[in-house]
Amino acid sequence: MLLENMSMAIHAIKANKMRSLLTMLGIIIGIGAVISIVSIGDTMRFMVSDLYKNVGTNLAYVYVWPKDGGDMRSGDYFKLDEMERIKEAFKDEIVYMDSEANVAGEAIKGRNKIKYKFEGIDSNYPDVKKINIIYGRNISEADIKARKNNVVLEASGAKDLFGTENAIGKTFRTTINNVTSYYNVVGVYRLDLTPIEKMMQESNDTRSGYIPYSLLVWPDDNLFNIRFYAKEGTNMTTFSDKFTSYIARTKNREKEDITFSSTEDEMKSVDSVMGGLSAAVGGIAAISLLVGGIGIMNIMLVSVTERTREIGIRKALGAKTQDVLIQFLTESAILSAFGGILGIAVGAGLVYLGGAILGMHVVVKPSVILTAVSFSAFVGVFFGIYPASKAASADPIDALRYE
Amino acid sequence: MWKKKKSQPVHETEYMGEDLIKLVDMVKVYDTGTIKVLGLHRVNLTIKRGEFVAIMGQSGSGKSTLMNVLGCLDRPTMGHYYLDGIDTANLEPDELSTVRNRKIGFVFQSFNLISRTSALKNVELPMTYAHVNQKAREQRAKELLERVGLGTRYEHMPNELSGGQRQRVAIARALANQPPLILADEPTGNLDTASSVEIMELFSQLHKEGATVVVVTHEEDIAAFTERIIRFRDGKLVSDTKNKPQIQTEEEAVTMQKEGSHAD
Repeated sequence: MLLENMSMAIHAIKANKMRSLLTMLGIIIGIGAVISIVSIGDTMRFMVSDLYKNVGTNLAYVYVWPKDGGDMRSGDYFKLDEMERIKEAFKDEIVYMDSEANVAGEAIKGRNKIKYKFEGIDSNYPDVKKINIIYGRNISEADIKARKNNVVLEASGAKDLFGTENAIGKTFRTTINNVTSYYNVVGVYRLDLTPIEKMMQESNDTRSGYIPYSLLVWPDDNLFNIRFYAKEGTNMTTFSDKFTSYIARTKNREKEDITFSSTEDEMKSVDSVMGGLSAAVGGIAAISLLVGGIGIMNIMLVSVTERTREIGIRKALGAKTQDVLIQFLTESAILSAFGGILGIAVGAGLVYLGGAILGMHVVVKPSVILTAVSFSAFVGVFFGIYPASKAASADPIDALRYE
Repeated sequence: MWKKKKSQPVHETEYMGEDLIKLVDMVKVYDTGTIKVLGLHRVNLTIKRGEFVAIMGQSGSGKSTLMNVLGCLDRPTMGHYYLDGIDTANLEPDELSTVRNRKIGFVFQSFNLISRTSALKNVELPMTYAHVNQKAREQRAKELLERVGLGTRYEHMPNELSGGQRQRVAIARALANQPPLILADEPTGNLDTASSVEIMELFSQLHKEGATVVVVTHEEDIAAFTERIIRFRDGKLVSDTKNKPQIQTEEEAVTMQKEGSHAD
């Protein structure tokens, strides 16, 4: 009987193709919107977490920031020799350490100029991040200690500035910390960017590079913060406590005055914000599903009125109230489920298409599809109840007489 | 709606008495809210198994009301209506559905086939509601369509069939669950004379094979095919006479058709 009802329902839907399609359109758009929006959100979350994974989740930044809003003391900053002491004290846990420092400016060689953004690093930076050196070498320990004006430059920057990628030994002029001087190219590397990194790049004509972090100190040789990578598998929560206590002791500060932020924490908070955002937008999209459901109810009511005579015939031939009820409920459920399936195709199709065009890996979670389908079936049944019960309660004599 | 099933379904009562239809002091009153209209007044009527009966009357005579009661589409207000031994007076709507499904084969004036549904599926419908399995249903529907002369038109839609053919499908459908009673309400009302004759001959044939056929009509020509004519006027049974059915030959049918078309 269930099978019979399904085939009757499909028959009735086919009999009014255009109308059925228009009715389903509400559900198609609703489900399509929910799936594409939630999937876009999931894709972004995936990409962000991927980005963090690229950077490393065991990356942390530490600095002094008085909790009562008081002024910084001179001892709150870090000195280069102090950095060495901290590195030594935590050599079992910390793989790499420097201070977070970037510098942007304009490099000049003869008539050529390029915009750059250099990152200050320590000599063992390649231990935590891959630098694809094609000519020359990395920043060395000697460069750091002697604060040499040596640069490892991106290949395209080298080409723009010197007309060749192999720019080892060449020099350019630039102003860093208000001092204009010459810098030597000691290495050239190739930059391989992931799609999201490309998207997040500030501008395409800015070239990147690395210089000794010891060059990027604040006045009085101060460094504002410590940036470090902990060893793989370090429990950042417990390590944070240990490290903060140490810094607080050496700086003669309260533990609360030390800010410790790890990418793990950051990632978690970004992820939860994005998750909430995508749920909220998905919720708004779900309203269109409600509208689609009302559309189904409307059409089913029209259909019931139109088919009053058919209902009369069925009842005269022995259909019980329940038979008619189930017949119409099945019809609206199938209508809505079809719409749901098409909506999934449209939504997921759009997401995959967009992913293919942008060359991104997209995420369409099965749980999203499952939720959308069950919701659309629920919409179909829920909004089918009223029309179906109207049909089922028809009096056979009146229904047969209906013109 | 989801009523508990009774221990013994109404349609399965063992009754093999020779009275198929028995109306006892049957009264039908329509309550329109403001006034009450007397539809049928104290009708006593017995129709035996195997009879071929015409119920006649002008419009307003109560014959449609009687048709509804006999067809278990409606319940009597007072008195009793026994169909195949079942007292229908106290049955719930769903129980009446079951009785209609198993005991009555309907043939309507306007055919009442389900549109955009094949002849075969239309004939299968009563069996669907009787929960006959798909294979048996299809088999029987094909046999019945063959029997009414539509053996090649299983997959035709109602709108692809002529009036006479549609009524044949309806008759095949009426026979689907082998009901003891065939109840036809103005079965030739929408047909030309030739088709009318064909349909009435089909009823005669069914009657000869043992079926009980009750035809509600206002046309004397149609009533003439039956063996018993019961007349109603103003909600009362006024006459109940035996009739010797016309023996129609094809020639006469043609003559009748011509007269019919002249009369138009």
